[in-house]
Amino acid sequence: MALESPSDADWTRWGIDPTWHRTVRVDLPNSAAIDWSILDTGAGDRGTIVCVHGNPTWGYLWRDFLKTLSPSWRVIAIDQSGMGWSQRAEPRTLEQRSAELVAFCEQHTTGPLVIVAHDWGGPVALGAVASLDVSAVILGNTAVAKPERTPMPPLIATARRFVGLACRRTSLFVSGTAAMTHKEHRAALRAPYRSATRRAGVAEFVADIPLAPGDTSWVALQKSAANLADLRVPLLIVWGGRDPVFHDRFLSDLLTRAPHADVHRFPDVGHLVPLDEPMAEIASDWLDRVLGASRTTATGTPTNVQPASDQPFDNITSGLMRRSADDETAFSDASGSASWSELAQSSANIARGLVERGLIVGDRVAMLVPPGAELLSAAYGVWLAGGVLVVADSGLGAKGLRSVLRASGATWTFGTPKTLAAARALRWTPGAQLICTARFPGAINISSTSASADIALPIIEAEFEAAIVHTSGSTGPAKPVRYSHLALSAQRDVIRDSFTMTPDRGFVTSFAPFVLLGPALGVPCVLPDINVAKPVELDFDRFANVCESSPIDVAWLSPASARTIVATAAGRTVKLRLVMLAGAPISPELASSIATVTGADVRSPWGMTEAMPLTDGVGAAAFVEFGTNTGRPLHGAEIVVLPIDHDNLESLPAGEWGELAVRAPWMFDGYEHQWRTEHQSEITLLGHRFHRTGDLGLFDVNGDLHQLGRVQHALSLPGQTIPSVLVEQPIAAELARQTAAVGIGPIGTQVIAVVVQAVEKIRLADPDLTTLVRSISGFEIAAVLEGELPVDIRHQSKVKRDVLASSVSAFLAGR
Amino acid sequence: MKVLVTGGSSLLGRAVADLLIARGDNVTCFQRRPSSSLANDVLGDIRDRDSLMAASEGGDAVIHLAALVAPKASWTDMEAINIGGTRNALAAATSSGRFVHISSPSVAFHDEPSVGSGALSADYRGHDGYTRSKALAEQMVSVETTVPTVIIRPHLIWGPGDTQLIGRIVDRARAGRLALPDGGRALVDTTYVDDAASAIVAALDHCVAGDEATGRPLVVTGGEPRPLRDLVSSILQAADVARTPRSIPAPLAAALGSVLERLWPGSEPPLTHFAARQLSVAHWFDQRETRRILRWAPTVGLDEGFVRLREHFKTHA
Repeated sequence: MALESPSDADWTRWGIDPTWHRTVRVDLPNSAAIDWSILDTGAGDRGTIVCVHGNPTWGYLWRDFLKTLSPSWRVIAIDQSGMGWSQRAEPRTLEQRSAELVAFCEQHTTGPLVIVAHDWGGPVALGAVASLDVSAVILGNTAVAKPERTPMPPLIATARRFVGLACRRTSLFVSGTAAMTHKEHRAALRAPYRSATRRAGVAEFVADIPLAPGDTSWVALQKSAANLADLRVPLLIVWGGRDPVFHDRFLSDLLTRAPHADVHRFPDVGHLVPLDEPMAEIASDWLDRVLGASRTTATGTPTNVQPASDQPFDNITSGLMRRSADDETAFSDASGSASWSELAQSSANIARGLVERGLIVGDRVAMLVPPGAELLSAAYGVWLAGGVLVVADSGLGAKGLRSVLRASGATWTFGTPKTLAAARALRWTPGAQLICTARFPGAINISSTSASADIALPIIEAEFEAAIVHTSGSTGPAKPVRYSHLALSAQRDVIRDSFTMTPDRGFVTSFAPFVLLGPALGVPCVLPDINVAKPVELDFDRFANVCESSPIDVAWLSPASARTIVATAAGRTVKLRLVMLAGAPISPELASSIATVTGADVRSPWGMTEAMPLTDGVGAAAFVEFGTNTGRPLHGAEIVVLPIDHDNLESLPAGEWGELAVRAPWMFDGYEHQWRTEHQSEITLLGHRFHRTGDLGLFDVNGDLHQLGRVQHALSLPGQTIPSVLVEQPIAAELARQTAAVGIGPIGTQVIAVVVQAVEKIRLADPDLTTLVRSISGFEIAAVLEGELPVDIRHQSKVKRDVLASSVSAFLAGR
Repeated sequence: MKVLVTGGSSLLGRAVADLLIARGDNVTCFQRRPSSSLANDVLGDIRDRDSLMAASEGGDAVIHLAALVAPKASWTDMEAINIGGTRNALAAATSSGRFVHISSPSVAFHDEPSVGSGALSADYRGHDGYTRSKALAEQMVSVETTVPTVIIRPHLIWGPGDTQLIGRIVDRARAGRLALPDGGRALVDTTYVDDAASAIVAALDHCVAGDEATGRPLVVTGGEPRPLRDLVSSILQAADVARTPRSIPAPLAAALGSVLERLWPGSEPPLTHFAARQLSVAHWFDQRETRRILRWAPTVGLDEGFVRLREHFKTHA
């Protein structure tokens, strides 16, 4: 007998169609039978999706799956024996639960079968898959084993220890689980577990969790783990990164067993990811792709299709190692300098030390070291040892830093005493081996712990993962970006060849990550005496000091640094060959001022965290009517302009603007654990993978690429979409004041507000300025305001449009 | 077409009547005072169903604009004129065959800004009598109608000769008594009277069974929201008033409104709580549906409207 069922009104209140609910009899192998309560959406053309909840949830967990994936799929959410509204019976073991699931699927489903599972439903489902003909498997936060060096999660340990009290006699466990999600779900999650009798199954489930080889279900759990490793069908894992029970180490464990899995991780979501995030939508997209082979395909021809170089792979570390006997200066900063031989020596020592301590190829190594000789030694040491650099900078903020580090699965962490203390206290890289750069005696003479010279270093293959870097997060949450050694070496080559970097003349940079390029290029690199987090501090004196005392002829500057240098030059000049400005759009005025101060060729190439650089940046100082002129595509980079309405992805001709999609040998490999993001940003053109950049742009008749801001910052007016730059530029030029145009209101029916830079808080511009702006612009301007434009922390020059748009919206709404 | 327009003496009523006549329709205006339009006038009270029925005798459509707009009017009057009057107009329309009901976007006002929203449900429950009566009237129309019916909610109608909005702003500014909540920063959309009239005529043409226009209320505006301050400066410029309105904190304006509407001796307090709140928050609307369904777009708009207003002030100074 199943339990008394909820009323139609209950189902409706819970967002479930009452007709989906029914009770079915499952005949068990031992010739007994049990009544299961299930939610079943009925016939679907594509097959059946069976959803298996964990403990102590029930079929309600899959509410969105039932709604989103039917009617093309038949979606069934079962209530396991003794759980939800199913029959209460004697305690079940994991093996029995898996056998019951097999029996259910055999007796009640036909056609292609997809299994979806969450929490302890995972081991149950994985125990069953070997006996079933499944087309695909989808998992939420779950586990098949306790990862090494990880203690049992305290919540599970406590529940196990006081199982009767926590799980049956009180509703502590049930309520605690329900409290992990939004309020709206809590009543429904608790409904079947209101009495101690009804909670018996919950307690028995907890009691069955095997902790040691002697436990009843230990063997069954091993079998589930083995089945996962043997799984030969597509696997999707949708993961909540803030689950106190199944935390990220469990994800890493699953991925070591099933490395082919597609993963989409939500950094800020807890345990009940099927209820808290659009897991069902992701599952739907994913099933379409892996089973239905739908791909976003564009047509047309990329500009500048040129064969990529066919040179043999040359490791990113070779530039440094080739100069290992060279006593010239490789790097210098305010605290001193390091020669090529010293850097090469210390990197090799660190590499051997890491290998000796057990680092294996592919291990993630978090770098919490500020730019300097220690960072260079550690980074190249990690690369020589086959490790993967995880680069996360303080620009992400403490919360963002924790999130990306925990997600990285780093098992090693380099840091200073200060950053390691933070890493320990805030559990940034739980379980990782911590290595303190301060233990290295002196900044340069970094001898490894106890490594001897005869430890062999691995051979690094081109396709090995080399680094995880993170997008700035100024246009959405920071995304982890994966680079292979092949891509990094291609990036080094394109920079060396396009900007003619030579071994005897190096560069100065105010961009911390660019320091890593010096040894790769085999050219000297200098950091000026500023706080690297504040490029705006680089004034003319500090800049000139570096230019005059070091063997450099190139500067990589952020626009913020360039502005300060220009503002403090007071007629003085330095002599450089090339100045590269990158990180944010720059004005032609800034480009020509910095050209005057440096006597250099000034370039502003286009690029992004995912692929940098993509254009030569020639033309930065020329006046342009449309956006920022970023020059021509670099040799090997392919760029297409796609219409943003997305219905017809035929590439656009010169003179028409759209979203820029790119492909280059130095492009990233993918986003880490961001299946949906990766696939939304990917298109296929002429059989190749292109990355949709989210940037707007156009090619002019000369073949120069003009960048026009971001797609999500375009103004979405009724009947047309306009890059904000096209509204801003004429106004800014006429007023000679920085100007930002933002869309106010819902997408598709926005109106334009123009904000002119001023020092005070946002307010309505005075009537004369308002009239002037309206007369300059060819667009209907709803409101003209004056006020401080918020800029990003990292570059101190990109206007934070999301922030601006929301403050202007609130202001004009009268909130 | 033979059309009865109620409330023909209002700024909008007259514009609707004249527009219909200009295109050859046969128009009768029904109201208490002469409409000064080109239409045949029948003078009467909207509360008097028999005379309304008589005026619409043999007609094809009723356009119902008549309403009592007076902040201090009694609820009895509001109910009788705005709800009862609408019931009478609906009865007249039932024998004619088409009904165009003029409502107001404020029937969905809940003290929240409207930032590009569509026509939300007419469920105002506040204590502003006019708005409450208009909300109930609209609800009644959508429930009780048995003939093709289009509900139009034009927002803030203005134009030359307008005494309601323009007149008050200019008078107060001249007297140095004009203050705008929070400096007039709220983004507000308005409708030039001729644009509202052409929308109502379009509504009449779409008032046939099965037309998409008959299913839902449609907000009509010019689609050019501006900060209230900008609108007021343009109006004052057109009227050649050099004074700049003062700013009053929005909460203070609302509090002042509450006091004035209780204590003001006359029938028209200079400010009510409801008006203060409405002027403090954004009021602009998604016009895509309205324009698609009515196949209509404004032809005058703000800039040309202000030019015409200036002309009007010059000749009527």
